[in-house]
Amino acid sequence: MTTTTAPHGGAAPPHGHDHDHPSFLAHHFDTPAQQEASAKMGMWVFLATEILMFSGLFLAYAIARWAYPEMVLEAHHHLSIPMGGVNTVVLITSSFTVAVGVRAAKIDNQKLLQWMLLATIFLAGCFLVVKYFEYSAKFEHGLLPGRFYTADYIAKDLTVPSPLGGPHTFFGIYFLMTGLHGVHVVLGMCVMTWIYLRARRGEFGPHFFTPVENVGLYWHLVDLVWIFLFPLLYLVK
Amino acid sequence: MATTYIRGKQVEPEMEAPHHDVAPMSLYWKVFGALLVLTCLTVAVSYADLGKASLAVAMVVAVVKSTFVVMYFMHLKGDDRTFTFIFLSTLVFVGIFFGLTFADLSTRDAVNSEWGYHGWANEKGQIIERTAPAHGEGGHEAAAGHEAAPTEGHPSPEAAPTH
Repeated sequence: MTTTTAPHGGAAPPHGHDHDHPSFLAHHFDTPAQQEASAKMGMWVFLATEILMFSGLFLAYAIARWAYPEMVLEAHHHLSIPMGGVNTVVLITSSFTVAVGVRAAKIDNQKLLQWMLLATIFLAGCFLVVKYFEYSAKFEHGLLPGRFYTADYIAKDLTVPSPLGGPHTFFGIYFLMTGLHGVHVVLGMCVMTWIYLRARRGEFGPHFFTPVENVGLYWHLVDLVWIFLFPLLYLVK
Repeated sequence: MATTYIRGKQVEPEMEAPHHDVAPMSLYWKVFGALLVLTCLTVAVSYADLGKASLAVAMVVAVVKSTFVVMYFMHLKGDDRTFTFIFLSTLVFVGIFFGLTFADLSTRDAVNSEWGYHGWANEKGQIIERTAPAHGEGGHEAAAGHEAAPTEGHPSPEAAPTH
């Protein structure tokens, strides 16, 4: 951390409310730098828990693929590479716009910051629309998890070694991974809207943009998860 | 701004107002372009028939893309090293998670056959004999004289009689 000393130890001078600390500095922090470092560390620890949560699902995928490679290979042909590819580009672009937004806050370009936040929210919406069409197609064909799986599809030479080795297992993992990721996209849109409203009030600038930066960090993580989901689910060979 | 004290000492001006490096816009464009190119690359590679190597290639491309995002969009490069430490230690734990799980899965058959177990327990503790043929990877077990060895370790749902 940039500020290393404990804030409440030792003999601090009297600290009343009559002095003029900046409005964004919470009272329990001594300096803006300390406040920013604390907030960002909290965000990174949160991202760590997010990575670990998703790693459980990635592990489930890895086990399914390890145990039933032919099944995973067959089942993934039902996912649309164009749709997944479009969504990859959409998410990467949204990562770019939110990064440019954080930069705009740093250089006090308020208009650009607001436009970049709006663009990110819009791209997140595009992602969800594509996802909606993808999910609808899966529902329509009965390509669903577990006992909800009703598609009669089984490849000609694919012997299913056990009740777990069928394509319903792949679609269980597909819906869990993309579903949890989709929930993160929805939450990201909500938080981004909140940050946009605060940005419109002119709350952020070169001296204070930690909320923008932290939301950006969250959004980049959502992008990171998709960077791995897309090749694993859509492009496996 | 008011004078601020920590433990009775006046803090330095640079701590009052954190210094932020603003990367040039060209860097953001370059990273964005690299990410798009790598996305096209990973799609193109998936159509090429690389066999077993395709997973490795796809993962290498994904790791490179992630590195770009983490270093430049998330500003881990040039930021406080504490954040890099948190991030990398998370990846270590993910590695432990995967490593121990696959160490278990990949040695389970050998241990079971060594101990003479050819089935698994269901949720009631009854041993279910394995009868279904295992897929290709179980070949060495069959050669050892067993009927068939389980190549995967999913206990209860497989044994559930209602299925």
